[in-house]
Amino acid sequence: MGAVWLASRAAVKRRRLQSVVIGLVVLFSTATFVVALGLLAASSAPFTNAYARGHGAHVVADFDMTAVSGAQLARAAEQPGVEAVAGPFGKAVLTITENKAGFPFGPLTVVGRADPAGPVDRLDLWAGRWATGPGEIVMNRPSGQGLVPRALGDTFQVPGGPLLTIVGFADSVSQSAGAWVSPGQIGALHPSEQQMLYRFKDSSTDAEIRSGLASVTAGLPPGALVESQSYLVLKRAFAAGPGAYVPFLMVFGVLGIVVAVLIVANVVSGAVVTGFRHIGVLKALGFTPNQVAAVYLTMISVPAIAGCALGVVLGNILAKPLLSGAFQGLDVPNAGVGRAVDVTCLLGVPVLVAVAALGPALRARGLSAVEAISAGSTPRAGRALRAQRWLAGTRLPRPISLGLGLPIVRPARVALTMAAIVLGVITVTFATGLTNTMVAYGKAQEANGAVQVTVRAADPGDGQTARRLGDSETEGLLRSLPGAVHVTAGSYADIYLGSSQTTDAEFLRGDSSTLGYLMVKGHWMNGAGQIVARSDFLHQRGLAVGDQTTLDLGGKRTQVRIVGEFLAGGFSVFCDWATLTELAPDQQATDYEIQLAPGTNTDAYIAAFTKAAGTGLNATADTNQTSVGTVVITSFASIFTLMLGLIAAMGVFNTVVLNTRERRRNLGMLKSIGMTPRQVTFMMITSMVPLGVIGGLLGLPVGIIAHRLIVPASARAAGIDMPASMMHVWHAPMLSVLALAGVLIAVLGAFIPARAAARLTVAEVLRSE
Amino acid sequence: MLRCMSTEDDTAGRTVVRLDAVRKEYGATIALDGVSLEIRSGEAVAVMGPSGCGKSTLLNMIAGLDRPTSGTVVVDGEELGRHDEKALARLRRRRIRMIFQFFNLLDDLSVLDNVALAARLIGVPAAQARRRAVELLDELGIADRQSRYPALLSGGERQRVGVARALMNHPVLLLADEPTGALDSKAGEQVMGILMDLHRAGQTVVLVTHDRDLASRHANRLIEVADGRVVGERRLKPTQ
Repeated sequence: MGAVWLASRAAVKRRRLQSVVIGLVVLFSTATFVVALGLLAASSAPFTNAYARGHGAHVVADFDMTAVSGAQLARAAEQPGVEAVAGPFGKAVLTITENKAGFPFGPLTVVGRADPAGPVDRLDLWAGRWATGPGEIVMNRPSGQGLVPRALGDTFQVPGGPLLTIVGFADSVSQSAGAWVSPGQIGALHPSEQQMLYRFKDSSTDAEIRSGLASVTAGLPPGALVESQSYLVLKRAFAAGPGAYVPFLMVFGVLGIVVAVLIVANVVSGAVVTGFRHIGVLKALGFTPNQVAAVYLTMISVPAIAGCALGVVLGNILAKPLLSGAFQGLDVPNAGVGRAVDVTCLLGVPVLVAVAALGPALRARGLSAVEAISAGSTPRAGRALRAQRWLAGTRLPRPISLGLGLPIVRPARVALTMAAIVLGVITVTFATGLTNTMVAYGKAQEANGAVQVTVRAADPGDGQTARRLGDSETEGLLRSLPGAVHVTAGSYADIYLGSSQTTDAEFLRGDSSTLGYLMVKGHWMNGAGQIVARSDFLHQRGLAVGDQTTLDLGGKRTQVRIVGEFLAGGFSVFCDWATLTELAPDQQATDYEIQLAPGTNTDAYIAAFTKAAGTGLNATADTNQTSVGTVVITSFASIFTLMLGLIAAMGVFNTVVLNTRERRRNLGMLKSIGMTPRQVTFMMITSMVPLGVIGGLLGLPVGIIAHRLIVPASARAAGIDMPASMMHVWHAPMLSVLALAGVLIAVLGAFIPARAAARLTVAEVLRSE
Repeated sequence: MLRCMSTEDDTAGRTVVRLDAVRKEYGATIALDGVSLEIRSGEAVAVMGPSGCGKSTLLNMIAGLDRPTSGTVVVDGEELGRHDEKALARLRRRRIRMIFQFFNLLDDLSVLDNVALAARLIGVPAAQARRRAVELLDELGIADRQSRYPALLSGGERQRVGVARALMNHPVLLLADEPTGALDSKAGEQVMGILMDLHRAGQTVVLVTHDRDLASRHANRLIEVADGRVVGERRLKPTQ
């Protein structure tokens, strides 16, 4: 191996440009792959891992205490398909009427458990201690929300019940309750249901979950099961956030790898072709064919491995903020790239490079010494001599006709370079379309910026001064001030909607239909008992427009009908105010959204309101912040576009470097007969422009098709019905600019080596001959 | 004067090269047409002829760099046609070395590494190979150029590096393809002087040239080739 290493090491060291190009191409490709794989792993692994660690319940089931006894439930759970069971635990639903530690008022599910451990749903008691005595409660909150200093030791007065002190915070992966008390305490809270937690041996599909639940409820009295919650609902909800981005990013990742492989193949085969003489000399010296192949593989592998290692580092650096952004608010600790992804990339990318290098290396292996030496020392006139002669006969300026003739000489190299440009243009096109769609989606989330001013009532329970104006007076004042066009009043609450899991909802009155939420199906609420729900929420819960369901607010229930599905927005569900009046007649609106007439001075409106309303009502201008999803996708799209565009440009760079190296003699001759450096630069750049033009024309439609296919598919995966209007993002001026992307990549990539070629001196060329 | 570096049994008269009815075709072109000849150890043979007559092809056949279309080539008792590429490569490492008209040095390696590489190929430890390379470069008068790269050397210096590289593994047979073709007359004379020193020390040398004067002054046998055939052969008495 000594001689092989000596020859390879020298080649890597002396052919710095070639080594740097290979290293950079692999570096950016690896970074692209790390980010894409990191996101894929992060979007699925945390939930699965956390659920396995916490022995999460596959089904959380609530049974009517009056219909079935604990002993019956325990006996019924003794089924062959049940892996583990916990319970029965007494369950009560409290109504929170005061705001503590940022908890919203509304229902709070409390379960009596002796400890946080057990065979199912092991709780993560991350602050304080477990509730063991009377008057103690442990709240269910994800860790790391910074509530501990303020909330530990706070008290709750249960209406008609005991005073409860918060002694701890715990996190349940199964989301089995909002809070826990000791089994002795739950009796004082008047439980009406018993909670059972099941883990089944087969639990991957809805059908398996249904079958498992049927087996443990088969022998129970009819009506005993009040409600149940499958863990698959939680899993889908979790995946809907980051899951929405994964398909987009995988497209970028795959494009990155394909571009990288093409460029590496181009670089390596170029190294072989320009190294014919080198190969011949090695063979004449006594290198065996395998040793020659080994020299060429090592020559490529050294910079590739270095590039790969640095690429993993860069990928991790890029992925950290991007993944943190992607998982914001989803309770995923330590969002970042896992070690498995790093190892996969560290091993996989060099293998990919080796595979790409194998063909040209085998070609080097098979060349006879004489053939190689003579090919290296006798430059061929070119296979496309006829085309070059024809071009020379045209009336085009000489640098252009000569430049256009250059690529024809090496069709394989040109094909690889053009493929890289095509993929670069596909990336740019797809990323542009995706960004535009995401911007439109973001606007839909922000209701197209319809609201200019928001007024929020202060919370006396949180130590703030109580509002001076009542609800109706506030609304009246807002309407009466100059510039107000529409006013919508709302009140936020956690409700139950056909499930044991709470749902964030807002009850609205006034001009809510003008808020600008983009409807996918159905219509906005126009009467009592109507609700509209967000697209992803409906998909997660298996609900649809037209369905009638039970709405539970603080233990009071009413029937509501889903009349519309909106694309995106802050709340899962919007309900008509009449429904709130029915369930909680005394509830006041706490939020007001005001739409102003065009040209109205927002600050003046806020000042006038604040002066008239006095204390307890905070008015703020609504800043149309871009949504997290839009920011994440736009960031990813920009970074991938930049990186893949750069990789494609490097492919062009390498091709022009190789062309220059092969045609040094011709360049010397052309300069010796009077071609200026500027003309040489122009000629070398011109040689790549046709590739850019063709690459643009081929890549543009493919990028558009990719957008048309992948974006709706990704939206479906995220449980969103994407309206057709969001796919119409292409306009003639934008398409014209995108078509030029290929030319831009080609010119950018060709410029530096073209300049270097122009600076070659005739004497230098002759010396190297 | 250079010492005889061959470690083989160079008993005078032993056949080192034997070609029997060797024919080589490149498509429709016949480069060699039934060439038969023998070269004995210790000989300095000049192969002469006009450009394109097939003399370089003949040398490539002897070096095992190319294979004949028909006929047999035997070098140092080994019939080359029976060897695969790997075995031929091993043969070239130890027993057959070649000097080229355009030097064919590896541009990526320094002068010292170019020379030492030949020894590294046969497994000589790096330090030992470099020591021997320095000795050879010293004997050829270019030890002070050892850390330079070939591109920075003159033609004569490059060819001396080529000679040093060829001598590194004590070859049985030294082949030289127009070794002075790319050199000025002074540098050419110096290189030929080195080769003849080697011959006088017992090295078998086969020299391809189209320079009759050079051949008659340095070789002790002349083989004339024309149109791919051996058209003449005579003994010479070298004048130098």
